Amino acid sequence: DITLRLHQMLPAQATIPAKALTPWAEKVQADSGGRIKVELYPAMQLGGAPPDLYDQAKDGVVDLIWTVLGYTPGRFPKSEVFELPFLITTGEASSAAFYNYVMANSADEFAGVKVIALHTHGPGLFHTKNPINKLEDLKGMKIRGGSRIISSMLAQLGAEPVGMPVPQVTEALSKGVIDGTTIPWEVTPSLKVAELVKNHTGFSGTHGLYSQTFGFTMNLDSYNRLPDDLKAIIDANSGLETSREFGRVMDQGDAVGLRIATEAGNNIVQLDEAETARWQAAAQPTIDQWFADMKAIGVDGPALYAAAQAAVAAESN
Amino acid sequence: MFTDDGGLGRFVNALARWSAVAGSLALIGMTVLICVSVLGRALLWAGLKPITGDYELVSIGMGFAVFAFMPWAHLKRGHALVSLVTDGLSPASNRIILVITDLAMLVAAAFIAWRLHAGMLDKFAYKETTLLLRFPLGWAYAFGLVGAVILVIVSVFVLGRSVGMALRGENELKGAGGEA
Amino acid sequence: MSPLILGLFGIPAVLVLVFLRVPIGLAMLGVGIAGSWLITGSLNPTMAQFKSLTYGTFASYSLSVVPLFLLMGQFATLSGLSSGLFNAAAAWMGHRKGGVAMAAIGASAGFGAICGSSLATAATMGHVALPELKKYGYSGALATGTVAAGGTLGILIPPSIILVIYAVLTEMNIAKLFMAAFLPGILAAVGYMVVIAIYVRVSPGAGGTRPRMPYAERFRELGRTWPVLVLFLLVIGGIYTGVFTPTEAAAVGAAGTGIIAIATRTLGRRGLVNASLGTAMSTAMIFLIVLGAASLNGFLALSQLPQVASAWIAAQGFNPWLVLTVVLIFYLLLGCVMDSLSMILLTVPIVYPMMTALDFGLAPDDFGIWFGILVLIVVEVGLITPPVGMNLFIINSMSPGTRLSETFRGVLPFVASDIVRTIFLVAFPPASLWLVWMLY
Ligand code: NA
Ligand code: NA
Repeated sequence: DITLRLHQMLPAQATIPAKALTPWAEKVQADSGGRIKVELYPAMQLGGAPPDLYDQAKDGVVDLIWTVLGYTPGRFPKSEVFELPFLITTGEASSAAFYNYVMANSADEFAGVKVIALHTHGPGLFHTKNPINKLEDLKGMKIRGGSRIISSMLAQLGAEPVGMPVPQVTEALSKGVIDGTTIPWEVTPSLKVAELVKNHTGFSGTHGLYSQTFGFTMNLDSYNRLPDDLKAIIDANSGLETSREFGRVMDQGDAVGLRIATEAGNNIVQLDEAETARWQAAAQPTIDQWFADMKAIGVDGPALYAAAQAAVAAESN
Repeated sequence: MFTDDGGLGRFVNALARWSAVAGSLALIGMTVLICVSVLGRALLWAGLKPITGDYELVSIGMGFAVFAFMPWAHLKRGHALVSLVTDGLSPASNRIILVITDLAMLVAAAFIAWRLHAGMLDKFAYKETTLLLRFPLGWAYAFGLVGAVILVIVSVFVLGRSVGMALRGENELKGAGGEA
Repeated sequence: MSPLILGLFGIPAVLVLVFLRVPIGLAMLGVGIAGSWLITGSLNPTMAQFKSLTYGTFASYSLSVVPLFLLMGQFATLSGLSSGLFNAAAAWMGHRKGGVAMAAIGASAGFGAICGSSLATAATMGHVALPELKKYGYSGALATGTVAAGGTLGILIPPSIILVIYAVLTEMNIAKLFMAAFLPGILAAVGYMVVIAIYVRVSPGAGGTRPRMPYAERFRELGRTWPVLVLFLLVIGGIYTGVFTPTEAAAVGAAGTGIIAIATRTLGRRGLVNASLGTAMSTAMIFLIVLGAASLNGFLALSQLPQVASAWIAAQGFNPWLVLTVVLIFYLLLGCVMDSLSMILLTVPIVYPMMTALDFGLAPDDFGIWFGILVLIVVEVGLITPPVGMNLFIINSMSPGTRLSETFRGVLPFVASDIVRTIFLVAFPPASLWLVWMLY
């Protein structure tokens, strides 16, 4: 009886659309006995650019969207803390942590939409032509950064950050426009990264280099229009556990990417604890810079950072 | 009043012309920026650097330039159209069609400018910025709004011009506009 | 009415408005807005969407290639590179039967290698070649037909604005499409020269010959065209090697031609203003259609028409080659009345998913490239098919004393060669794909 349109930027066969959004749509349809129908519109089919997605749900162009929160820089400053280096652990734990953190600290940034899920991807790492065995190896490498924060961190670590949309990474790597990229394992199969570079560098311990944050949100009017029993179905399919499930799907995607690179015989480096500690120290200026940025807009950065660390720690045991 | 050689007409023509030239200057600026950035990337070994945020600067430049180009194309009838069928109609019918399509263009121009303005207010309110340079998107929208508003002014004039010609029974030159 | 039915009415509604002389972009915009309104039952989604849709469509990094290539073409036109190309081609071919016309084709191909637009190529070669053709006694029909057809080489030989748009629509690789267009573009030039050779033999009065040039003179003239070669290698070579993104290549090309125009003292204040206005005109025309297409395609996606149509085609078990033939003939017919860019933006979002549902024995990526080249060629034929063909009007207006009907008659053999070439490229995909396979 009710049709909800779900718009997002990736092709239908990508990890989250295929393994999280489609199952979500099917579950909501089944739970409602077919009274809610979810139409999936992948790859920006309904028009606009990816940065427009968040407002498309907020303003009612569509009913549901899934997007990268970093596509609209400045919009979610307090939630942005989850992009800071060496904060996150697994996709599953970090997603649950991110959801809890937002509800406790930055729910105001999501005013005007119904939050279905908030999540992260698994640990981002380096995929490079030449091996990175120590911090100094990064010097002068042209690396595509995954987000604004990771780009500024790359610059501070001595690399030459290159900004480009994810779909251009394949060609840029094959033509030598960039020497490497930071992405989680999950994205590597679709970009054929394991064929184009032979070195993958991650870190010791539980914390990954970086993550991006994602939002799966619903237009508030579309939600409020639903009769109470259907509202309950949406509620039952949103929140902490849904966020956790999206993170788990990301982890499963990571496992696939890692397996492909391993089977290709690639050089998969895990920097030891001492070297990892050097990187973490080198990343501190990026965190300090973020504190300064937050201070400039009247936000207590260190407190939020501590809250984010606590949220991740609580979920990561 | 709504003729190309009248006072208003000369003003509108100059406005559209300078808007187009300003857009092209932005385009030339983007050209220089990109070349410098490419050179910087090629000469990394010599200590040069690509320009930070060249992608977003080009986008902002495009947002300004394309809006700024619109008034000139409408004023000079540069938009692609098919006059095959209407060429068979009487000159009077064609004059009426022109008035209707010019009215449609005015409505579209006003709608676009109105919504762009709303979008600009949103971008300012949400404090959205570009990725690397953290340039406020609201200002990027404002640059586009310049051309959009000029297009509305030009569309009013063009509509007035074709109404005037219809009333006087004059014909505009036939034929389509530009083509890629 | 169900969304699907509404979707089926979408393109016919646009065509009706277009035939009523509504600018094509405006017609697409209007139908897109009206269609979305009817499907969602509310104008609010559209109101909200246009807060960012227009800006997002215009402020596009990937589409910045378009105005940059247009600017490059304007500078190339200003700096007189076209006359150098024509002189060189005429030095080598002018003494043959039909040689002056062949030289016009050769020069158009050369100019096409640094200009992404058909009309700019036709117009600039018209200025250079038409007086010469007249001087050597070519009939108005052959002269205008030659230059109008030669103009399409501006799009057929990379760089090509239409291919950029196709690449953005189908998310294909621009560099690969450019490489794929190269051999078919050369084939087009050769085909046009064959047409001229036959034409002057069938109709001996159609044109005369220039005196034969000594080889020293020929090489000197050829040497003078080095800037064109350098620009082509810089732009296309830069894109191929990945040193530049397509946008960067277009910017480097525009800067290079701009420097040449300054060096030849043709880029004064007046030249700059004219180049600016020309760029503005074509860019605005293209982006209004792109905006209209963004709106229309949103409506069509909402109606589920592209999804349903491609599933339906796949389920029918049609012969893929038959479907392809029907699609290409449809484009040829539509091209008689419509411009190429509008056709691509109007139809590719529906036709492309349908075609990818069929099996031509090609990898998906290869199919996308090959189909792109075929579509490019058939929509470009539209520029020289009566009754509506922009190149015909432009060139005819530059040749006083030639009736439009003569131009129509003169161009028909060239259209025939286009059709022969299309059949060859359909039957023999490697002709388009070979260079891509070799290079990638
Ligand atoms: Na070309
Ligand atoms: Na035609």
